[in-house]
Amino acid sequence: MIARLDHKVPGGKLLRVEVEFEGGSVLRVRVAGDFFAHPEASFEAAEAELGGVPTDRLAEAALGAFSRPGLVIYGAGAADIAATLGRALHEAQVS
Amino acid sequence: MKLRFLETGAGTGAFNMGLDEALLESVAAGRSAPVLRLYRWEPAAVTIGYFQSMEAEVDLEACRAAGVDALRRSTGGGAVFHAAEITYSVVAPEGHPLAPADILESYRRVAGGIVEGLALLGVEAAFAPINDITAAGRKVSGNAQTRKLGCLLQHGTLLLDVDPERMFSLLRVPNEKLKGKLIEDVKARVAGLKGLLGREVGYGEAAEALRRGFAASFGRLEGGGGATLEASAPTGPELERAAALAAEKYSSPAWNLKR
Repeated sequence: MIARLDHKVPGGKLLRVEVEFEGGSVLRVRVAGDFFAHPEASFEAAEAELGGVPTDRLAEAALGAFSRPGLVIYGAGAADIAATLGRALHEAQVS
Repeated sequence: MKLRFLETGAGTGAFNMGLDEALLESVAAGRSAPVLRLYRWEPAAVTIGYFQSMEAEVDLEACRAAGVDALRRSTGGGAVFHAAEITYSVVAPEGHPLAPADILESYRRVAGGIVEGLALLGVEAAFAPINDITAAGRKVSGNAQTRKLGCLLQHGTLLLDVDPERMFSLLRVPNEKLKGKLIEDVKARVAGLKGLLGREVGYGEAAEALRRGFAASFGRLEGGGGATLEASAPTGPELERAAALAAEKYSSPAWNLKR
């Protein structure tokens, strides 16, 4: 299944997240939007790291992944991204 | 401060993004001084930010029908419709006065050239973090930066005019009923030089103001005097590399549709 959610960060940019999951595991995460992240590859590494994470740990794991040293994000914080991913998954699971 | 100055006129979207990247490679390899480039887009193009989803942001069918290119930038930020505008790019090695470690500070320093160019045209403007320049409370310039190979690449637009109806005919909107409101929002929040000055400002006039504005503003970063802008053109190898990047990267579905 794929969970999708758009969230405009107050005072920041738009996040469009997508979480592909099966059973209790996340298969793939994509965080799109008009934010800036430096270096870009570090942001993509954080996304990739979330493949295989148990769904009930996604928000927590995302907070860690997007807070990695050296990654600077403008227009959204790691907490915004983590919460949006968690909410996307939750809404897909209860619907 | 000495910069290599290129005015490369009109190019396709893929060529324009390819040349920006080729220039970054030249500066990174020590083959070129730091660069200031001015250019425009022909045909008109929609670019999306590095992290955006093409499918979510752009109506590719409408772009094709209108003869408008659609491509992904190497820089973050939002979707931009490049039509009545002048575009600049700056490439400098990290540690150069234009590329301090603090990213927001580097935006501010590069944006200083546009603010100064606008002042020369009679428009009072200011940098509005993260990446905008506003005049009379409305956005007149958007800017985006990436850092690769130890260099900063920042490019951005100065709007000569705005056409939100045409722009939203090419971008996806959450629902058609909202389109009218979005168009009104853009009219209230975004302004081109034509709207700000009440007269047409052509590419040539804007280019000359930006060239002078960048020179004055960048010169002050090193404690006075103007920066020296040495007129230049892309070298043969740079044009070849730009063409290769245009064909293999900026025209490729693998890149443009990757998110």
